[in-house]
Amino acid sequence: MTRLFAKHQALISGFVSFAVLLLIWQLAVDLGYIKAFFVSSPSRAATEFWRQLQSGEVRDNMTVSLYEFAVGLSLAVAVGGLLGVLAGWSRTIEYILEPFIWFKYSSPTIAFYPIFIAWLGLGEPTIIAIAFIFALTPIYANTLSGIKNVDQDLVRAAKSFGARPHDLFLKVALPGSVPILIAGLRLAVGRALTGVIAAELFGATAGLGYSIAYYGQKLKTNEMMVSLVLVVILGVVFTQLLSLLEAATDSWRPNADR
Amino acid sequence: MSQIEIRDVSIEYKKPKSEETFVAIQGINLAIEKGSFVTIVGASGCGKSTLLLALAGLIRRARGSIRVEGRDVTGPGPDRAMVFQDASLLPWRSVHGNVRFGLELQRWSRDDLNERAARFVRMVGLGGFADYHPHQLSGGMRQRVNIARALAVDPQVLLMDEPFGALDAQTREVMGDELLRIWERDKKTAIFVTHSIDEAIFLGDRVVVMGRNPGHIRDVVEIDLPRPRAAAMLDSAAFIAYRRKLREYIAGDMQSLQMIKDVA
Ligand SMILES: Nc1ncnc2c1ncn2[C@@H]1O[C@H](COP(=O)(O)OP(=O)(O)OP(=O)(O)O)[C@@H](O)[C@H]1O
Ligand SMILES: [Mg+2]
Repeated sequence: MTRLFAKHQALISGFVSFAVLLLIWQLAVDLGYIKAFFVSSPSRAATEFWRQLQSGEVRDNMTVSLYEFAVGLSLAVAVGGLLGVLAGWSRTIEYILEPFIWFKYSSPTIAFYPIFIAWLGLGEPTIIAIAFIFALTPIYANTLSGIKNVDQDLVRAAKSFGARPHDLFLKVALPGSVPILIAGLRLAVGRALTGVIAAELFGATAGLGYSIAYYGQKLKTNEMMVSLVLVVILGVVFTQLLSLLEAATDSWRPNADR
Repeated sequence: MSQIEIRDVSIEYKKPKSEETFVAIQGINLAIEKGSFVTIVGASGCGKSTLLLALAGLIRRARGSIRVEGRDVTGPGPDRAMVFQDASLLPWRSVHGNVRFGLELQRWSRDDLNERAARFVRMVGLGGFADYHPHQLSGGMRQRVNIARALAVDPQVLLMDEPFGALDAQTREVMGDELLRIWERDKKTAIFVTHSIDEAIFLGDRVVVMGRNPGHIRDVVEIDLPRPRAAAMLDSAAFIAYRRKLREYIAGDMQSLQMIKDVA
C-alpha cells in the first residue's frame, strides 16, 4: 500500500486535492455561501453535462473545436518545422525570417483577429488561421534552435565516416533535437487550443468556445460550465499525452533513469 | 612507395575576429609504412590534432600533399577512420547502434550491419553491454565503443587522437594492451597521438616528436623493442634510454616556451 502510494504519489496527491476542491465548491453552494447562479456547482454541471451528452451538443462542439485545433496545429507543425529547418540550415533564411519572429513575439496576435475576419470571413477558416498563427512561433523557434545547436563534435565524427548532408540531418541533427522539438510541440498544443477557443468566443456558430460565449451571454452558468470544463480536460489530456511521448523518446538522457 | 606520404604540409587557421591567419603546422614531411604503428608526441598546441584532422580529410591544407595508397586526400574516405579524443558517441544510440553508425554512413549492406556491429562490440569486450547507452558507460568503455566504431568500417588506416587521454593510468595500460592485441591481429596502419611518453614508446614502431611555433616535426625515433610488447619492458634499459631521450626533446620545446614568456 505504501509502495503503491510512493509510486503514484504525484497522481494520488493531485487527485485528492482536486476532489477536495470539488467538495468545497459543492458545499459552498449547497450551504448557501455562494449563489449557484455565479459559479454553478459540480452536481448541477454534471447533470447538465449528461443532458448535453445525450442531446449531442457535447459531441458536436467537441468535433468542431478538435477539427479546427488539429488542422491549425498540423499546419503550424508543417510550416514552422519546415521554416525552422531551412533557417537552421542557412543564415540568410534565418535573417530574412527574423523580423517576423520579433514582430510575432512582441505583439498580441489576437489583435489581428479582425483582419483575418476581413480576409477569411467569420468562422472556421479564421479560427484555424488564428490557431495556426498562435502555434507557429514555438514550433519554428524550437526547430531552429534544435538544428542550430547540433553538437559539432558529433557532426565532425559523422563526417569522418563520410556522412552526406542528408545523413547529418536525419541521423545527427534530427534525433539530437527530439527533446527540444517535443518541448516546442507541447507549447504549440497549448497555444493552438487557446487560439481555437479565443477565436470561437468571438465569432463562431459551433465549438466549445462558441458554447461558452453563447451560454455566458445568456448567464446560463451551468450550461456554460460544461464546455469550460471540457476545454480544461482537453488541455490536460494533450499535455499528458506529450509527457508520455517525451518519456518514450528520451530514455537515453542521463536523468531518465530516475 | 609508402602507404602514407605527407609532403611539405602546412595548415593555417583563421584567427578569431581578424582576417589574419595562424600557421598551425608547417613543412611536415612524413612517410608511413603499411601496417606500422606510429605514435606522435609533443607539447600541447604543437598541431598534433591538426595533422590528424588533415589526414582524416576534415580540414584543408594551405600547402603540400597527403597521399594514401597513392591517392590524394581531398576529404574523408572509407580507407581511413578516426578515433576522437572525446568519444563523440551519439547519446541517443546504444553501444550497438553507435558501432553501427559508421557502417550505416558507409552504406554497408543491411545484412552485414547488425552482425558486424555485434562482432566488433564483442571484440572490444563489451558483449554484455550492447544495449547500454553512452551515459551508462565508464569513460574507458566509451573509448572502446569509439575504437570499435572505427575498426568496424574496416579502414586501412586508423587515426587515434589521444583516445586514452581522459583515463587513469591503470585503465590506460589495460586499454593500450588491448589495442596492441587487436592491432597485431590484422596489422592496420595506426597513427596514435598521445601525451604520455611511455605510451608512445610502448605502442609505437616509431615515435614522431613534434615541436611548436609553428608546429613541425623535430625528430622521428625508431623504437627497436620486440613485439609482442609486454609491461615488463617498461623497466628495461632500452626503454629507459628511449624515455630519457624523448623527455629531453620535449623539455627543450618547453624551454623555448618559457623564453617566449620571459620576453613577453
Ligand atoms: N579551429 C581552429 N581555429 C583556429 N585555431 C586553431 C583551431 N584549431 C586549432 N587551432 C590552433 O592550432 C594550434 C594547434 O592545435 P592542435 O589542436 O592541433 O594542437 P595539439 O597538438 O593537438 O594540442 P593538444 O595536445 O593540446 O591537443 C593551436 O595553437 C590552436 O590554437
Ligand atoms: Mg589535440
